[in-house]
Amino acid sequence: MKEISYTKITGFKWYSLSIAALLLLVALLPFSTGQYYLQVFTVAFYYVILASSWNLLAGYTGQFSLAHHAFAAIGGYTSALLVTNFGLPIWLGILAAPLSSALMGFILGMLCLRMRAIYLAIATWAFAESVRITISMTYEITRGDLGLAVPKLFVGKGQGVAYYYLFLGLAAVTVLMIMFIIRSKMGYYLRAIRNDEMVARVMGINTTRWKILAFMLSSGIAGIAGAFYGHYNGLLTPVMIDFNEMAFIVIMVVIGGIRSIAGPLIGAILIELLTETFREFGEIRMVVFALAVIAIARLYNEGAMGTIRQFTQWISRRKQAREGVN
Amino acid sequence: MEKENNELLRTENLTKDFGKLRAVDNLSLSLEKGEIRGLIGPNGSGKTTVVNLITGVYRPTSGGVYFSGRRIDRLSPDNITHEGIMRTFQVARVFADMSVLENMLIPAFTQGTSRREARHRAQELLDFCLLGKLSNEPTRNLSGGQTMLLQIVRGFMRQPLKLYLLDEPFAGVHPAIKDVIINTIQKMNREEGVTFLIVSHELTTIRRLCSRISVLHGGGVISEGTMREVANDPRVIDSYLGG
Repeated sequence: MKEISYTKITGFKWYSLSIAALLLLVALLPFSTGQYYLQVFTVAFYYVILASSWNLLAGYTGQFSLAHHAFAAIGGYTSALLVTNFGLPIWLGILAAPLSSALMGFILGMLCLRMRAIYLAIATWAFAESVRITISMTYEITRGDLGLAVPKLFVGKGQGVAYYYLFLGLAAVTVLMIMFIIRSKMGYYLRAIRNDEMVARVMGINTTRWKILAFMLSSGIAGIAGAFYGHYNGLLTPVMIDFNEMAFIVIMVVIGGIRSIAGPLIGAILIELLTETFREFGEIRMVVFALAVIAIARLYNEGAMGTIRQFTQWISRRKQAREGVN
Repeated sequence: MEKENNELLRTENLTKDFGKLRAVDNLSLSLEKGEIRGLIGPNGSGKTTVVNLITGVYRPTSGGVYFSGRRIDRLSPDNITHEGIMRTFQVARVFADMSVLENMLIPAFTQGTSRREARHRAQELLDFCLLGKLSNEPTRNLSGGQTMLLQIVRGFMRQPLKLYLLDEPFAGVHPAIKDVIINTIQKMNREEGVTFLIVSHELTTIRRLCSRISVLHGGGVISEGTMREVANDPRVIDSYLGG
């Protein structure tokens, strides 16, 4: 009989070990990579926040908004203008950002409450365009297309590392918060609303309240991300509200896996890395991403996260079959 | 006087127009606490519209709905649910992306029941309805009859459930599942005092379950009484034969 001299590692332990190794890798990345990739990851974490918060609204609640990038810009400009025009400390400006974005989210959410699918998408896209044009036109306040110089949060030699950890922390808090929401009673209500709003109402869910709350929450999170991004980048321009930005968020969520916690995280990092790696190919990257989105929507709408889930289930089934034979 | 005290639901001259079409016409209906009432009538007689009016899905054109003496026809569907009224839909509607258990938890959560208590009651009800082993199954994997059963049993998660409106609960359901539905209705009526208004075309099942029956035709009640009484009413015979 073969003697087993090693400790058997169960599936759960493998899972925990993988997560721990990944966290360690992410934590130690600044010490093993150059300034360029540090910046790439910092921006990727910014997109993790946007993609995750959009997934809460569009994925879990079924409100397909195309104004998420505009809420990030509203947050960014709120903080930047308060700091530059009124001399407020940066942290106060950042605190005001989610409030202004959430307020705009509340107004837009109320206006679009009864809209569904394509009508909601068109209305929110029109709102985003209006924000972009307003920022471009109000040159005296926002400096229009020239861009608004924003004071940086960190300066000096170690700023790259500081920003990396800041955005890593923000992304981690956002993902954990959304995970908590989805597992809470609120998460049940949002999923019920997406499934069948009328049935949700007759089950006793105040759908108006929860839909508006989801809109405000996701807008507020985008606003915080936008504010930190402004104080990281040092410059805000209406380019932040180009439709391409919104398209990126949608692509990240769809490729990563809509309606999953880890999907937007994987999607945002993957797409940001691919975008930077293939920068020399210019706009053709967007075409490739768009084709990938069409393929996923048509063939397998659970994205990368769904593939990982299926793969682990396949491993587990194989293991069970082997144990059954033995 | 005693009858009035026992009244749970009353509609007063309830009318609903859809453009030029009058779907419900001056309907006055009264339900007593603890009864199982059948609501029958030919196709297009306004049965589902009545359910929609009572549960706030539609606003009446005129007239009112009173529940335990309180007017409820201006309330939203979720507020009507909080009064203790639940309903089902003719084509079973469950939350397709959720498991059987998750579907069960939602009505309990909306009334503030703790997760532990809600799971306990859900499992008890599912076990009684022979769906216990499917509690973690996604609802899209259920058969049509099981989906209807889940839709019905989900309503019992609200406590106290005072009035339950079932819209065609037996349509297209396997006889074995039909028996489970009947047993569940009788058990909840007997043990928890739930009042039922059952809309159905299945007259044999209605006869088995309901002590009183209201017959709807042209949006109004044309006859009311026991099955024997309404079956012998010439107006009912005329309405079913297209008279």
